[in-house]
Amino acid sequence: MIDPITARTWSYRALFFALVLVLAIARLIPTGGAAGGLPGPDLILALTCAWVLRRPAYVPAWLVVAVFLPLDLMLHQAPGLGALAVLLVTEFLRRRQALSRALPFSLEWALVAVVLLVAVAGMQLVLGLFFLPRPPLGLDVIRAIFTAAVYPLAVLFTVYVCKLRKASPGEVDALGARL
Amino acid sequence: MARDRQDIDYVSPLRRIGVGLLIVLCVGVFLLWRIDSPRVERVRSELLDAVVPRFEWMSVPVRRMGEMVADFQSYQRLHAQNRDLRRELQQMKAWREAAVQLEQQNAKLLALNNVRLDPKLTSVSGVVIADSGSPFRQSILINVGARDGVIDGWATMDGLGLVGRISGVGDNTARVLLLTDTTSRIPVTILPSGQRAMLTGDNTAAPLLGFLDDVALIQPGDRVVSSGDGGLFPPGLLVGQVAQGADQRLRVRLSADYERLEFLRVLRSHAAEVIDGEGDLLIPPQLPPAPTLPDPDEAEDQSADASGDG
Repeated sequence: MIDPITARTWSYRALFFALVLVLAIARLIPTGGAAGGLPGPDLILALTCAWVLRRPAYVPAWLVVAVFLPLDLMLHQAPGLGALAVLLVTEFLRRRQALSRALPFSLEWALVAVVLLVAVAGMQLVLGLFFLPRPPLGLDVIRAIFTAAVYPLAVLFTVYVCKLRKASPGEVDALGARL
Repeated sequence: MARDRQDIDYVSPLRRIGVGLLIVLCVGVFLLWRIDSPRVERVRSELLDAVVPRFEWMSVPVRRMGEMVADFQSYQRLHAQNRDLRRELQQMKAWREAAVQLEQQNAKLLALNNVRLDPKLTSVSGVVIADSGSPFRQSILINVGARDGVIDGWATMDGLGLVGRISGVGDNTARVLLLTDTTSRIPVTILPSGQRAMLTGDNTAAPLLGFLDDVALIQPGDRVVSSGDGGLFPPGLLVGQVAQGADQRLRVRLSADYERLEFLRVLRSHAAEVIDGEGDLLIPPQLPPAPTLPDPDEAEDQSADASGDG
């Protein structure tokens, strides 16, 4: 029999995968939005950030790459670059996860917003260096701001629907180490 | 971190190596794509080919929902819409009269001429199954592909106008790069003046007209059709009408209904003929040497010509 903590970890990983799948399909479905207008927020990225800052163990780095590399291909972006950006963002947030536990939510929100903007700048820079067609800088920044704006919603969803909270001070993981 | 120093930590160095490997993997994929783009693009279209058709059933209810929301929104401007519609109807009546007259005229001319439309231009019809999913890429996926004989570069139309061209073919799906995408460049002709121009997508609903010879000859409302330059598209496909944007640049209002792309026709183009000889001298066909001598009259004429020249 699988011990309950491992089962819980893996079922949350599966849940994460399923959520991303649903969001990705929702983006792929032709809803008839024509060109022009403002780009919508990147819900998948907001959800990923919220999960990493709640329970990093449920969104390990390999899962991030396994999810975002095919997404790059399916959403017709530069393959590898988007996954790399998300991986670096999540690793950065993961390092600061212990710190963010002590922070009020507003500071966590600001942290995520800044990280998303830096990621946009980095991707624009890399695309420019490789002479690749870049999305317009203004729209890309607006998109990052929208993503940051829906971040609280992603957190609410994570906390109240997925029941993921930040680890409380005394909590231990499967091997008995402190989280 | 204090915890790391207390007990020997085996996990975090391993983790760091793992993350490093993942970073190398992502960079590798990116560089591979940059170096050998066609191969990675083929992987991409095969992935889409495998994944997207499985979720087609989901798209129907979501699309219906979107239509319902749009319908509901349209109730809010019912009054204004009603007035507009009445005025439009009035215009339509005038147009219908014109159309009927033109139809009669056309029927007469056709009978007179016995014109047939180019029989080479047959088409495959497909249904739109997915969007590009990214706000910066304007492309759609349709459910016909290499199995139906679709080839990269073919023109795609909806019922009325040009929509884009095939760019990436999977076995059962094909990607259509829309005219509004930033990488789309189409040679066009602007009709009454016959000027050639380049239609350049810029991620807005109305693509830009570039490389124009003489802007003064062009007026908003002129028809824009594909020119067939470069052998990319068959010439004469309707693209749209010239319009002047808010930024005073000439744009094209597309005839195809980009808000509701559902069924598309992929036109089977055939490779344009290429003239590759240098062109020979035009020499009258050589007759076999005449068995009889030329008669004296002709000889006299020739000598007269020669003396006239001299």
